[in-house]
Amino acid sequence: MRKIFSPTLLFLSPWLMTLILFWLFPLIYSLYLSFTDYTVLNPYPNFIGVQNYLNLFSDPDFLTALKNTSLFVAGTIPFTTIIALFLALIVNQKIPLKDFFRAGFFLPSITSMVVIALIFTNLYSKDGYLTFLCHLLGIPTPEKGFLFSTSTALPSIMLMDVWVSFGYYLILYLAALQAIPQELYEAAEISGASFWQKFRYITLPYLRPMTLLIVLLNTIRSFQIFIEIFVMTKGGPLNSTLTVVYSVYENGLVRFQMGYASAMAYVLFFIIMIFSLLQMKVFGLGKGVEE
Amino acid sequence: MRKIGRIALFVFLILVLLGTLFPLIWMFYSSLFSHTISLASLADIFKQKLTLKNYAEVFSQIPFGKFLFNSVFVAVVVTLGNLFFCSLVGYAFARKRFPCKKSLFVSVVLVLMIPVHILIIPLFILIKFFGWYDTYLALIAPWLVSPLGIFLMRQYIEVLPKDLEEAARIDGAGEFKILFRVVLPLCKPALAVVAIQVFLANWNSFLFPFILTSSENMRTVPVALALFQGYQTIDWPRLFAASGLATLPVLILFLFFQRQIVAGLTTGALKQ
Repeated sequence: MRKIFSPTLLFLSPWLMTLILFWLFPLIYSLYLSFTDYTVLNPYPNFIGVQNYLNLFSDPDFLTALKNTSLFVAGTIPFTTIIALFLALIVNQKIPLKDFFRAGFFLPSITSMVVIALIFTNLYSKDGYLTFLCHLLGIPTPEKGFLFSTSTALPSIMLMDVWVSFGYYLILYLAALQAIPQELYEAAEISGASFWQKFRYITLPYLRPMTLLIVLLNTIRSFQIFIEIFVMTKGGPLNSTLTVVYSVYENGLVRFQMGYASAMAYVLFFIIMIFSLLQMKVFGLGKGVEE
Repeated sequence: MRKIGRIALFVFLILVLLGTLFPLIWMFYSSLFSHTISLASLADIFKQKLTLKNYAEVFSQIPFGKFLFNSVFVAVVVTLGNLFFCSLVGYAFARKRFPCKKSLFVSVVLVLMIPVHILIIPLFILIKFFGWYDTYLALIAPWLVSPLGIFLMRQYIEVLPKDLEEAARIDGAGEFKILFRVVLPLCKPALAVVAIQVFLANWNSFLFPFILTSSENMRTVPVALALFQGYQTIDWPRLFAASGLATLPVLILFLFFQRQIVAGLTTGALKQ
């Protein structure tokens, strides 16, 4: 037993403490809260069973948030994925300044989301550059700017998301492209395969797992959109950009309905976990764990 | 024919790249305008008198120096903490035998997948309970040991040859000495990836610094930027000067450590 108190335990202790204090305890505590009517006015919470969860599904704001979040996921991911794939295929050719292009496409995805959201707030405003560009091209624009109209606010934020995130997925696609054995292409060339045949029968099949991974990763990320909503619209106009995480924040930390907000957070948690488990099932827990 | 195709591709890429970088270029360029402009014609963009006054005003009109200090302090302490703690934990996972090793490592990978929004409410309550709300501790303590850092260090140490460690052990070196004198000097590439990954994540972090602080004095740069805009008029050139200053460290790291950044981000996704 002496072995347990060897330096090993000391080495592991930072993780044990972080795991228990900042991950396990909050997860369990917030699950408990989600079954109570805890608010700041009522600091001695009553256990109310699944009432919060039942209320959620008759709460028009939550249903709107869920709808917007789903629209966001479904409306951005096909575009992001196709753009990333298309550009990765081009950058992967023998073109000059390859690294330069790769770096440039990738830069927005490591820039602060707050900064990006501020820039686009400016570009989308009624005096902004994008509005001006639409005027030049004769495209009608909303009177108060793109972010102040219920029909254009969410699509505008979605467009920004595609712009900011495709570079990251492009990098992932490049990694997958570089892992395709070159002999396959050489063999195909010898037997006279055309460019499209090589693409159709070698490149695409090899990229299928990465495409699935990219769609899953992007889905998990997109379900958690918060910063852009907070900076650009605060969920407005008329809840047209309200997302689930923004709703959790507003219910929990602005209205202090913490029990209710915890239930909301857990519903999203379970939705995301479905995708995470799918990712785990398909791609494993990472090489380290399997052995 | 092939050559023309190549040139067309190249031109196409240049155009797409310009479109990709345009918003960032726009931010830096219009941070030099003397006041917020409303565009009436294309020429307006180029007719502006350019000035650096906004960068000076950022420091004189708002406590931006304090925000910068907060951001640098928090990001540096969290980065150093991760280098130290993730080395300890990663080394234990790579080299030591102990009970529940496998499930404990699974916990690292699982935490890597937990969507952080679930922490908004309970972490807020916990930090309040500890009396850490609106202090540096709230910004630092929860993030000192990142699962990604542990993962990267463990993967790297695991494939290092064991000979040197065993030689040092025979010479009577203690566990700490072996880790810090023998193993870590060989881990510089992994340490660099961890450092840059953690620094960037904390430098850009908004959600938790925002919900765990309240006073202006404790704001980090992203929090300050997000709360900068009033509801009526926004002084865009000044806001963009501040945003530019927030982006500068990212650009510098990006120029020098692109390879490490890419490695860190792809490991996060591919986990291998």
